[in-house]
Amino acid sequence: MVTVQLLIQLSSISRTPSWQRRDNGLTIRMILCFAILGLIIAVFLSVLAYLGLGIIPITIIAFLIVLAQWYFSDKIVLWMSGAKIVTRDQFPKLHDMVERIVARNNLPKPKIAVINTNMPNAFATGKSKKSSVVAVTTGLMDSLDDPEELESVIAHELTHIRNRDALVLTLVSVLPTIAWYLVQFGFYGGLHGGMGYGRDRNSGGIMIIVIVVAVLVWAISFLIIRAISRYREFSADRGAAQMTGKPVKLANALMKISGNMRRVPTKDLRQVEGLNAFFIIPAISGSTISNLFSTHPPTEKRVQKLMEMEASMS
Amino acid sequence: MRFFGKFLKKNYNPKTDSDVLFSLSSAYLTLESKIGLKNSGRCALSLKSISGMYFNEMKDDIKRFLDISKTDFELTYRTVTDSYGYLWVILEGKRIEDLLAGISAVGDTVDEKGFSNQLLAAIFEFTTDRNKKQYLIYNYRRNSFYPFVPVDGSQKTRNTEEEMKMMATIGDEVPLEKDMTLWYPLWDLPL
Repeated sequence: MVTVQLLIQLSSISRTPSWQRRDNGLTIRMILCFAILGLIIAVFLSVLAYLGLGIIPITIIAFLIVLAQWYFSDKIVLWMSGAKIVTRDQFPKLHDMVERIVARNNLPKPKIAVINTNMPNAFATGKSKKSSVVAVTTGLMDSLDDPEELESVIAHELTHIRNRDALVLTLVSVLPTIAWYLVQFGFYGGLHGGMGYGRDRNSGGIMIIVIVVAVLVWAISFLIIRAISRYREFSADRGAAQMTGKPVKLANALMKISGNMRRVPTKDLRQVEGLNAFFIIPAISGSTISNLFSTHPPTEKRVQKLMEMEASMS
Repeated sequence: MRFFGKFLKKNYNPKTDSDVLFSLSSAYLTLESKIGLKNSGRCALSLKSISGMYFNEMKDDIKRFLDISKTDFELTYRTVTDSYGYLWVILEGKRIEDLLAGISAVGDTVDEKGFSNQLLAAIFEFTTDRNKKQYLIYNYRRNSFYPFVPVDGSQKTRNTEEEMKMMATIGDEVPLEKDMTLWYPLWDLPL
């Protein structure tokens, strides 16, 4: 649960109609793995609570688990995604490319991993700048035929490392859990002096209020995390564009990866004109609600921001 | 700032086709100074031809107008009918003002004769340093421009990167089609 946000992936879910949407296998797999992991931890903590452990020891154990998750995050992520660390001999071009960007921007060279899947995607993980890993899928290397586009995507991931987004998001994502417990224990503590459950008639009503408030707190902080995550994506885009000096390349890569490139028509205007295509006002694209929940901003927004950068540079 | 800018722009947004077309005059300069796209001296207007006396009359009116105004604007023109059955009025001239004035005058003539529904697009041609062609297409239905950069030598592929560059460069100056799914290309332009 906590670690889902650790995954800093390149935009994978776009607001295209379902038939156009890419297969999100990797993302689903990772989220599932983390959900199961989260569940195991939750069950473990519940068992401890059932065994009569106090609030403070449980909090300490939970804290240690979070710490361990963060500490092993790179290994967990690599293991779950099936990414293999590759040597220079295996992927010389990829190594060269990363070294070029890293040298230009005075960053330590990360480990490089490759995932063998057709789906174009990339992610960065790692707890410090030195021990970080940048993983790309073979699908990403295949679909971005322009090396400068691949470079932009790698620069995006390197910016995540430079900005320490894995750490930021881990810390931030612990907040809802902490808030949840604080609300629950706070209420119990305040009402019952930290003792066991009272038997007064009001306790049922109070229980409901406690749960509602806890859920509200959790939901709001969940949304805040999402907002922070989206903001960090924008800053990673910006950082990548500054590293390469070519915002348009990243914009183009994003379009290709998200499948938006196919949306730029190739059918002749004179052919569609007869079909009165222009009288059909395009539907309001995407919904605000799905935006609130997603960890990545919509591709169009990212492309738009990059193009604004491009315009200000020329 | 940006919010108010958007707000004001909405009110300011010119309504008629010729107003929108004339907003290109500054865009031409921006494209040249920022990304080195030069005016190729050619632009065109395309409309669906229909058979009938009135349409032919309008065609003659356009030709007459362009013949008369030859002295005012330094323009040459030719007309072509393509395989889709579209009539193209192609204008050539050195000066941007002349091209824009010519295109909007032709558009006005079509409108006056009641054929505005037949108007498809106005196309403005640019050349890069390497003598490649890039276009801005004005869609009469949507009252907005969008870029079109065909890839040389390959059939029906377009250079989206260059298109996005053009769009970013003149984004503030002319009304642009925001919805990229409506950036319909015009292949094999008779320009």
